[in-house]
Amino acid sequence: MNLKEYRVVFAATALVLILLGASPLLNAFLSFPNKATPFSELYVLGQNRIMSEYPVEVTNDTDYRVILGIGNHMHESSYYSVDVKFRNQTQSSPDSSNSTPSSLPPLYEYRAFVGDEQSWETTLVFKLQNITYEGNSTLVGNLSINGQTFTVNTPAAWSSQAGDSYYQLFFELWLYNATSNRFEYNDRAVWIWLNFVP
Amino acid sequence: MLLGVLLIIAFGTSFFTMHFADAQTYPTKSKFGYANDVVEQAFNAVLDAEKAGANVTDLLAQLNDAAGILAQAENIYRTGDYNTAVAQADSVLNASNSIGNQAQALQLATQAQKDETVNLSIIISAASVIVVIIASFLAWRFFKRSYYKRALQMKPEVVSDES
Repeated sequence: MNLKEYRVVFAATALVLILLGASPLLNAFLSFPNKATPFSELYVLGQNRIMSEYPVEVTNDTDYRVILGIGNHMHESSYYSVDVKFRNQTQSSPDSSNSTPSSLPPLYEYRAFVGDEQSWETTLVFKLQNITYEGNSTLVGNLSINGQTFTVNTPAAWSSQAGDSYYQLFFELWLYNATSNRFEYNDRAVWIWLNFVP
Repeated sequence: MLLGVLLIIAFGTSFFTMHFADAQTYPTKSKFGYANDVVEQAFNAVLDAEKAGANVTDLLAQLNDAAGILAQAENIYRTGDYNTAVAQADSVLNASNSIGNQAQALQLATQAQKDETVNLSIIISAASVIVVIIASFLAWRFFKRSYYKRALQMKPEVVSDES
């Protein structure tokens, strides 16, 4: 190697050492944002955390338990609200193609603050009460959720094909938007079908 | 002067009447709205603290307690027990205000710590860079000198021409 080539080696080594020396400062100012798409999860499980243990066949005035959970992958702490609603086969349901929630009013509500990459879970206990039959239809008078009783008076037609009357207990996820200062529907809904056999 | 006094009295009367009317007309709904606002402001403060780099796990746990009570108040309100609902919503206010204040204090402390770290980084980086530049310069000079010395000490050798 001649002197010119040695100079290049010296300069390159010095440059690397300068970058190493400046690394504490670079570390303080450089940040690499998480490029993964932020999203939230909403899930419902049977009481032993098994999907096959969903209450499906339900009877009058009996307690049923499900586990409701939220997972936060929004890259920051988030404030969630979960609306619990009850409908029959014909009433409004959440529409994932239009990202709209059901137009039914919530019966019950959960609020949760969840840290990034954390989850939140709760056990929901519900029972259907004051169920009456009239002709080919069933009428659920009350729905009790976690010990609070709500009047629903929801009829359901008896399905001749299935031989049952179907209802749906469903959950909608709403996410607080800190910019607009309001909850916005997060296009996440989960449900369990409740089959009432007379 | 008299006109001014009359204007002040008229304005003051309408102001107090307006607030009194608000409290009378919307005693329950306004409490919920206010409680929600306070919880949301506390969350915004926690979010700011988190963005500043603070660990907000404890504050989130406290907020969760407050939000649970607030949601419970809304659920009770739906069953028609307005007095209990309002009492529950009221109980959230102090806790949420305290969380908001804690979050702001945490944000300031984290920011101060961050500034201190940045200042220290500037000093360490500047010192390191200066040391590297001076050391490189001296090393180059030493190397160049020894290179020339070696070159000058080289003796020409006669190589036999075998061709």
